[in-house]
Amino acid sequence: MRVRIPRRLAALAAVTALLSSCGLAGGDDDVVTLDFWCWGDLQTARVDAFNAAHPDIQVRRTDAGGGNDSATKLLTASRAGNAPDVTCVEYQTIPALVVSDVLADIADHVGGLADEFTDETWQLTSFEGQVYGVPDDVGPMVLLYNRARFEELGLAVPATWEEFAEVAAEARERDPDTYVATFSPTEFGNFAGLAQQGGATWWEVDDRRWTVGIDDEASQRVAGYWQDLIDRDLVNAEPLLTPEWNNRVNRGEVLTWPAGLWSPSVIYGIAEGQAGDWAIAPLPHWEGESDAVAFQGGSALSVTNDAENVEAAVEFVSWMETAAESTDVQISGGQYPASLSGQEAAVLSDPPTLTAGQDDYWDVATAAARNTVPHIQWGPNVTTANDAYADAFSAAIRDRTPLTDALARTQREVVAEMERVGFPVTG
Amino acid sequence: MSETTSGPASGPATDLAAGAAPAAVSAPAPDSGSGNGARGAPPPRAGGGRRGLGGFLAPYVFLTPALALFVAFLAIPVGYALYLSVQGLRIVDEGVFGTRSEVFVGFANYADILTDSTFWAGFGRMALYGVIGVPLTLGAALLFALLLDYGGARARRFSRAAIFLPYAVPGVIASLLWGFMYLPSTSPFSHVTEELGLGGIPFLDGGWIFPSLANIAVWGGIGFNMIIIYTALRGIPPELADAARIDGCSEWRLALRIKVPLVAPALVLTGLFSLIGTLQVYGEPTMLRPMTVEIDQTWVPLMYIYRDGFIRDDLPMAAAGSVVLAIGTLVLSLALLRVTQRRTFGGAQ
Amino acid sequence: MSASTTGARRPGLLPHQRARLLPTVVLLIGAFYCLVPLAWIVVAATKSNTELFSTFTFTPGTGLLDNLRELFTYQDGAFGRWALNSLLYAGLGSLLCTLISAVAGYAFSRYEFPGRTALFYLILAGVLLPGMLLAIPQYIIMTKIGMVGSYWSVLLPGLISPFAIYLARVYADAAVPVSTIESARMDGASEYRIFGTIALPMMLPGMVTIFMLQFVGAWNNFLLPYVMLSDESRFPINVGLYTLLSKGSGEPSLYSLAIVGTAVSVLPLIALLLFLQRFWRLDMISGGLKG
Repeated sequence: MRVRIPRRLAALAAVTALLSSCGLAGGDDDVVTLDFWCWGDLQTARVDAFNAAHPDIQVRRTDAGGGNDSATKLLTASRAGNAPDVTCVEYQTIPALVVSDVLADIADHVGGLADEFTDETWQLTSFEGQVYGVPDDVGPMVLLYNRARFEELGLAVPATWEEFAEVAAEARERDPDTYVATFSPTEFGNFAGLAQQGGATWWEVDDRRWTVGIDDEASQRVAGYWQDLIDRDLVNAEPLLTPEWNNRVNRGEVLTWPAGLWSPSVIYGIAEGQAGDWAIAPLPHWEGESDAVAFQGGSALSVTNDAENVEAAVEFVSWMETAAESTDVQISGGQYPASLSGQEAAVLSDPPTLTAGQDDYWDVATAAARNTVPHIQWGPNVTTANDAYADAFSAAIRDRTPLTDALARTQREVVAEMERVGFPVTG
Repeated sequence: MSETTSGPASGPATDLAAGAAPAAVSAPAPDSGSGNGARGAPPPRAGGGRRGLGGFLAPYVFLTPALALFVAFLAIPVGYALYLSVQGLRIVDEGVFGTRSEVFVGFANYADILTDSTFWAGFGRMALYGVIGVPLTLGAALLFALLLDYGGARARRFSRAAIFLPYAVPGVIASLLWGFMYLPSTSPFSHVTEELGLGGIPFLDGGWIFPSLANIAVWGGIGFNMIIIYTALRGIPPELADAARIDGCSEWRLALRIKVPLVAPALVLTGLFSLIGTLQVYGEPTMLRPMTVEIDQTWVPLMYIYRDGFIRDDLPMAAAGSVVLAIGTLVLSLALLRVTQRRTFGGAQ
Repeated sequence: MSASTTGARRPGLLPHQRARLLPTVVLLIGAFYCLVPLAWIVVAATKSNTELFSTFTFTPGTGLLDNLRELFTYQDGAFGRWALNSLLYAGLGSLLCTLISAVAGYAFSRYEFPGRTALFYLILAGVLLPGMLLAIPQYIIMTKIGMVGSYWSVLLPGLISPFAIYLARVYADAAVPVSTIESARMDGASEYRIFGTIALPMMLPGMVTIFMLQFVGAWNNFLLPYVMLSDESRFPINVGLYTLLSKGSGEPSLYSLAIVGTAVSVLPLIALLLFLQRFWRLDMISGGLKG
């Protein structure tokens, strides 16, 4: 025993040495090595393809956990001067990372890359001419619905939110166990997207002066709408993606999920048995108003301030977003590419397994992606807003107090924290 | 009670075990020389004069690795945390949104946290959770230990092993397990009550959340505490119990009047474990949070601290919160020891 | 456990036998309570992701082999690597910690030297610190010395345990007679020789207990590796399992994978605990309190 342990350690050290020498690919001085943090199983194949095509740049991928975990680690690593060269970031965390001086402005290196994206998409990562990342995948919002159950219950797909409320009532009548949708008090990004569709501007910045509008009129209206559905027991108010909720989905008791275009792969992950049963439709809009939708979720690739070779990092990022070898992996894995070329390639592919039966899947998807709300600005403390939202809305659901009050409470907490930290803010 | 919170340095086992150290405060002072009377070990006051220079240096040499590690991974980090707690991240006018940088803010973080009602609300919930969980854990552990010690019960080896097993289950995992036991669609308990026509049990709703959470801690904590009390019971000389029986004392009275007072030190110790475990509760509510709307981000103090440090990226604030919590732990532990020492140790001698 | 003890009270029982029934039943209820969730994880490990949420909790599923195959092939065998990492962190870490603590505990127990009391209490105060207070500064220190993300960043901070040092001192008090040390000194043995050849063997049973406590603690330690490591291939098992449950948006949690992983990782630990139970000397934990 006494001998074995050190020997195991020695073996381990040897393995570790081996692993790190692999990353240096021959140790040639001309080869640039990039560290890349990103979650998700898709990244391995994309990075491998890049490495195969670029003998002079080798990328080492690390999975540092999903969006929130990764952002937290990124902040800590950056403070220690230890951040990776390139990292995946969720769009809404970009301003916070910029404020903490984690992300590099790559405006001087991107050339004409902006032309590869719609303006609305490019605006997700660039602010006043400064570029803090390149969009990787986007989630234009659509209405994912269980078509088989809709047909079974004789329901029509709603085009407007007004119709959505009617369908909600009909669904309850025809099957008392079934709800048309779930209002989750913890889905900050979802509610933000719905509010943005209705014209809300949650953050605005002008010459470093912030305006917070989480509690604005448009958001109040959206909150009021869902309040009404909850009060009439037409939607189920509970967290999403819990085992409990997954179970409901499996029983066919959740009819729709208004969410980003990545939603089919999520539902497929929890209800494989319903493959082919679902379809997407344009997200309902407000009667007489624009049918542009917001984005929910999605992420960008950003270069950090710790990157030594920004040129190489940008080359990697550009390739990831525009090369067919990369975007094809995204599409087959259920991600919707951010770049126009990727989105065009998607049209030629099969729809996701969950919605396998839908012939016009990509038409609906493309229409949503080309008609999005411009200038979505996230704030420097979205995580605080996210918590405050989840806490306030959960409490409102629990105590049956108005959602509009919860919105006001969220606004107050966000503004208070921004003031405490020293942002000039009006709200 | 929630191993996620026990730093590597602060706990060898669960947080329960981590709490054992303050117990030493009540142990005889190292140089009092009373040593371990129970086992008849002679006092450690040994041969100072005869050791020579090598002997003089020896204890320091022996202590070098421990002290070096202590300084590197406990003392310096604590100092750094204290330093951090008087810093603050504030906005300076740079960049498109402004940039956060670290400046000295004095006691502003402490002022903020001590006047934040959310932080104190977390203490309140933690207290309620502890008031339910700690007596149940200790009561059950004592009961099972007494039954194991009582010769009459059968299946003792099996029961002892079974009750001890949850100790091997990491707190994160235990919370997940129980989470599934609570969720209406997967709960076997709700399944049974529904079959009986009573409807499901709302484990995760309203006030139920407190006993539900406390139960996870009880489940994980009974075994370890039971073993400690049990081993203490085994240390009682059998003649004592025999004498009592001859005097016509019932098993029940024997347990209550003789055994329990004799293992009082072990009870104090387990009480301390539980107290510290309660103060550092974090894992259970965090794991159950996605399953219920009852638990918010700052439900107990450590969740509040975690939110500041890891979600809001406000390490100085988290450092201040940790310092407050550490001081609170120290004060409560010493208070518990002082009160119980006067009673149990004074009375038992 | 047998039917005769749990069966309803029969009329023919003698008084002293009846007295045994209640304690046995209470103990068995306790055992049942402790075993139910463990039984659950074993059953749940046999279920596919869909069965997990759609069949009765204690109905065995059909997916055990698939789950196991999926677990061990997940990301090219990541689970096996996590298990080995955990063994390394917990095994090697606890071994070293036990040695360091034994040496320190012996010094505190069997020597008098200036600053002994102060040092001892100083070290003991370490247990009062919330892990979170230490994690961030430890991370920054590890970064400064260039070790963050390495195996050492998790191993080294785990080597100092105030509780283990306390236990070692209590045990040395009890197990190493001063007279033995004295006579060895008379024979001219050096202090280090005395410790290595006389005191250490005497303390061995207590060290097994310290090792076990440390092992379980290190095996369950979550926060430190979670903060220190960003490379999945160096994760210990519980951090790895946690990542299965907290995938980012767009990736559903891998419940069935996490559950079968939990079962696979908990069962060996339980076996180890049951096996080593006889060597435990937990009485010494409270022994220090007896005045």
